[in-house]
Amino acid sequence: MHIACRHLHYTYPGADSPVFNNLDWTLEGPGFFALFGLSGTGKSTLARLISGELSPGQGEIDCPKTGCILYTHNAERIPGWGTVGAHLRSVTPASKTSLLSTILKDYGMEAYLESRFSGLSMGQKNRINLARYLVQEFDLLIADEVLANVDEPTRNHILERLKILFPQKTFLYISHNVLEVARFSQAVYVLPHASAAGTDRIHKITGLGHQEGREASEELVQERVYAILRSAASTSEPRP
Amino acid sequence: MRTLKRLFQFISIYAVALGLLWGVKIVYGFSDYLIPPPLEVLQVAGQNGLIYVKAVLDTLAVAIAGHMVAIVLATVVGLVGRLSSWPGNLTRTAAYNLQAYPIVAVAPIIFLFLGDGLASRLLIAAMICYFPLLLSFIGIFAQPVEEVEHFFRITGRINWRLELSIRTFENLDKITTVIVGSGTMALVGTIIAEFLAATNGIGYIIRKALYQSNLAKILVALFLIGLCSSLYLSFIETIGVWIKNRLHGEKTCLARASTP
Repeated sequence: MHIACRHLHYTYPGADSPVFNNLDWTLEGPGFFALFGLSGTGKSTLARLISGELSPGQGEIDCPKTGCILYTHNAERIPGWGTVGAHLRSVTPASKTSLLSTILKDYGMEAYLESRFSGLSMGQKNRINLARYLVQEFDLLIADEVLANVDEPTRNHILERLKILFPQKTFLYISHNVLEVARFSQAVYVLPHASAAGTDRIHKITGLGHQEGREASEELVQERVYAILRSAASTSEPRP
Repeated sequence: MRTLKRLFQFISIYAVALGLLWGVKIVYGFSDYLIPPPLEVLQVAGQNGLIYVKAVLDTLAVAIAGHMVAIVLATVVGLVGRLSSWPGNLTRTAAYNLQAYPIVAVAPIIFLFLGDGLASRLLIAAMICYFPLLLSFIGIFAQPVEEVEHFFRITGRINWRLELSIRTFENLDKITTVIVGSGTMALVGTIIAEFLAATNGIGYIIRKALYQSNLAKILVALFLIGLCSSLYLSFIETIGVWIKNRLHGEKTCLARASTP
């Protein structure tokens, strides 16, 4: 999976200033990557541009013609007229039913298939939502704060299992949890604090997710966390 | 329970209104001819009760039929109006412009063409409650429920039936409220039609009472209208709640948080 944004410009209708101004960025999959940035820097906007939900004002986004890009966020709900299990069964391709069972078991959600979505906790809703996306055909899944309400041990378990279950897929994980993105991602793409003229670059910081089977030292984790935070706090000044 | 509550609310308001009327009569010393005493109202109710009950049931039947016609029509036209193509734009523009026109003003034309029978009453009842229904339905059907529809859209599963199901389900409360509100308007429309030119129904009886300057008859008619209206509206509300409970599931399963 290769995605390239070239000279990307985007301004929301009615907004005074652009979110992106002449932005160049490349993502090379497969693997687990993170998109990090302070609130309002354009993480979700970039995700929606890549997934085709928004169209760039200028510039282009190169995606493989055959590749399937899905974008999910944590505010999503399933229709309320049926049970969680009925919905999952209806949206899971026949070839993915065993994968669904594995995921639900992994996420501790097997016991809630007869529940209504509205009766679940926020964390449970997030897990069910992620599960239904994982059983779809995709090459790149952009997951925008999809585990925001899940407790830390469960979140870590889910992220570990994602990498094991889908080694050939590309994930772009958007999160405000800097420790998490530093630990689990191969690379963290940091959107700097936006200037009035719009973000024009994305910093790449190598994450610790490539160290399979090895626990990164605390010093290394700290170093990456500081690097990510420093990068996120820096201002994106337009290039001359 | 819902029905009893509505009936109690209506009877309370009616009793307060009667109390105020008789209070005004005593304070200003109005004659029995202008404002009849309680006994006369009871006598009128006893003498004409059965005829009035039949008349109000007749009115209610026409109002319900008109209401149903309006709901079906508003649903069908609302489906067209939600489209972003030219038929949708045309429907929306026409609906917004037409609803601004007072339908009662065209009632005489309807009586001229269709006479003073059932058809005129039915048409006026349907027309009066149709536009509020239509505008609400267009708004509901055209407004995406992004949090639910997103998954189906991005995975290529969305179709108009699914879109409609989601939007209807998410707005059930709003739809029930609009239908209940339009039920009142259907009843008002029928009574206005009867009052204007029809030869049947409780509106016709009120018109005759007005010509006789008989307030006792009008008060009895108003009481029966209020009773029937309360029963009908609470019936619609009950159906709305029943549908909602069925769709949301009879029992609420509040799942407990778990850790794998």
